[in-house]
Amino acid sequence: MQPEKFYYDNKIVRNFGIATVIWGIIGMTVGLIVAIQLFHPAANMGNQYTTFGRIRPLHTNAVIFAFVGNAIFMGVYYSLQRLLKTRMFSDILSSIHFWGWQLIIVSAVITLPLGLTTSHEYAELEWPIDIAITLIWVVFGINMFGTIFKRRERHLYVAIWFYIATFVTIAVLHIVNSFELPISAFKSYYVYAGVQDALVQWWYGHNAVAFFLTTPYLGMMYYFLPKMANRPIYSYKLSILHFWALIFIYIWAGPHHLLYTTLPEWAQSLGVAFSVMLIAPSWGGMINGLLTLRGAWDKVRDDVVLKFMVVGLTAYGMATFEGPLLSLKQVNAIGHFTDWIIAHVHVGALGWNGFLTFAILYWLIPRIYKTELYSKKMAAFHFWIGTLGILFYAVPMYWSGFTQGLMLKEFNVEGMLKYPNFLETTMRILPMHVMRSIGGGMYLLGVIVMAYNLCRTALRGKLVANEAAEAMPLEPVYVKQTGDHWHRLLERKPIQLMIVSLLVILVGTFVELMPTLTISSNIPTIASVKPYTPLELQGRDIYIREGCVNCHSQTVRPFRSETERYGEYSKAGEFVYDHPFLWGSKRTGPDLQREGGKYGNAWHYNHLMDPRLMSPGSIMPNYDWLLNQTLDTTTTASKINAMRSLGVPYAIGYDKIANRDLDKQAKAIADNLGKDHIKVKSDKEIVAIIAYLQRLGTDIKANKTVSSNK
Amino acid sequence: MFKQFTEHITGTQQYLLFSLSIFMVFFIVVSVLLIRLKKQHVEHMSGMPLNDNTLETEKNMQP
Repeated sequence: MQPEKFYYDNKIVRNFGIATVIWGIIGMTVGLIVAIQLFHPAANMGNQYTTFGRIRPLHTNAVIFAFVGNAIFMGVYYSLQRLLKTRMFSDILSSIHFWGWQLIIVSAVITLPLGLTTSHEYAELEWPIDIAITLIWVVFGINMFGTIFKRRERHLYVAIWFYIATFVTIAVLHIVNSFELPISAFKSYYVYAGVQDALVQWWYGHNAVAFFLTTPYLGMMYYFLPKMANRPIYSYKLSILHFWALIFIYIWAGPHHLLYTTLPEWAQSLGVAFSVMLIAPSWGGMINGLLTLRGAWDKVRDDVVLKFMVVGLTAYGMATFEGPLLSLKQVNAIGHFTDWIIAHVHVGALGWNGFLTFAILYWLIPRIYKTELYSKKMAAFHFWIGTLGILFYAVPMYWSGFTQGLMLKEFNVEGMLKYPNFLETTMRILPMHVMRSIGGGMYLLGVIVMAYNLCRTALRGKLVANEAAEAMPLEPVYVKQTGDHWHRLLERKPIQLMIVSLLVILVGTFVELMPTLTISSNIPTIASVKPYTPLELQGRDIYIREGCVNCHSQTVRPFRSETERYGEYSKAGEFVYDHPFLWGSKRTGPDLQREGGKYGNAWHYNHLMDPRLMSPGSIMPNYDWLLNQTLDTTTTASKINAMRSLGVPYAIGYDKIANRDLDKQAKAIADNLGKDHIKVKSDKEIVAIIAYLQRLGTDIKANKTVSSNK
Repeated sequence: MFKQFTEHITGTQQYLLFSLSIFMVFFIVVSVLLIRLKKQHVEHMSGMPLNDNTLETEKNMQP
């Protein structure tokens, strides 16, 4: 048989590389802006489109799906071709994948600031974009499997297994977490409600970290680290064990995001147990990476690429040690809802994803341009300012998290809360927020220097768009070797490998999700809990649009420190009409589940107009546009109908008269505000959101009154 | 730390036991398969990233 000549497609790799750098700078800049808003609210530029609640999701989506997403595709398209000794399956599909993905990102950049959001964290994009993501993901899948089918190498290297697991699991996660009922072109309601919606969301949220931020990067580590160090991976057997154990265990750990909530206890315990176990495969992978550099540590001193890899792997080790730690209930009780979580995710994101991406860019761009890096000094500067940036970011956030977490739980000798005013704890941590933004700024500066360095590198070389290579074609019939067993068989059968990976991740998914979604006794109903009135429903959608959930939770955990501060702890039955759930994951401000009736309507009006009028020193932005914008009541009927078809017991035909009730309730609130000398028309958005805030948690309060009367 | 498991999952222990046993079985099966892998095959697999089969000389590509 004659060797065949073919060409690797470097152009698509280059394109994804450029997109990685550009979106990285944009996503991190938005991150810096939101970080500044947390100590200087006026940094929202007095504008609803650039206010924290709307652009915090833009930051997370941009860095996860635009920066990391493009970096994944860059790494996959480079390594897949070389590991399989073939060009990508189709240049057209590569191109559709590239441009489609960029269009999806652009649509996120447009829709999120407009307030078009589902409110599910890291899945905020509305249903038409969800469909586009599905289509482009399928294009990526066809292109990847097409390449695998026309390969010239019989066996699939472990990096490719990680890519396959990424593809199949992200597909499952995205589809299950996108069951939405559209009510208009850019508005939908999740099919699940309350506890079930929370479980699905955090099964998704946790595994997006696993299968978007971790497995593809592990695949890239297993390919690029041996290339960079010019030696094979420390233990190939360990990499196989790493792969199967990691994908099996990760999928179970989602409920650790919902500890002490109304999620059934057994699901919480299961999440904790598997989270603790997760440390084994995670550290197995990290150790495998670091030991690959055995005998090459002298290279690490000189080679900036390896420096980035070592710090990246160390950050991975730290974040994956901390994850299990934070999932222990006692630790979680303090850390959850605080800046500790922000520190944790940024060690992973800045250290692991960021530094691995930079290492690959510094290694790859000179190679495909057949030149040398423009400036090693600049790259070294990037390494140091990036590393310091991570420290300046993470250390103040840990400090802030411990401080606030402990302050919120502190009682004085009389048995009263020592800091009954939430704002007092916020004021204490503001200096840490300032330092964090300096750390973030340093990290961003490093990325800008890298962008310049890589541009100059590209300008001094010339892109080898099609790189020539030669390999023997595959023999049409596989010659069985003695001693073959089924794992080897799996390594040369991509579809079977995908199916086995799918089954492995479905085990945990079914055991965890199915009982909560199907057994009604897991969510005891409460008779006094009634559906929202039309005005409250509209108000809730404004709450979702403004991204209030990004700073305010709606779940009171059963701790004395929380029941004293907020009121009765949450019950599963309270959320049965909440499509979607709005429990939140961070308390930059206080919990709002028992907000109803706590203050008068006038307090809310003034507070939303300018929070500092009622709470001096507050870092909440002004929501003064709610005072002037008119509520769109043309959507009321379709919202009521949608809710009814999701199981909310609105009477048949109620959609036709819902606006009558809406007007009545709005007028009552406007009249009430009038008594406090606040002149407001009843058709303004502020009235709807006040109605919603005043309703929060009152079903249980009403219940209490009834029972005490007895 | 283990108290929380034993105290809070009364009556539903089967979920935890079932899940942990599935994982143990799975883990043992993968381990056995790994031990049985041939050295020659492992060497071939781990050498894969180092061989691109590109035609140009590597000389002008060294950083």
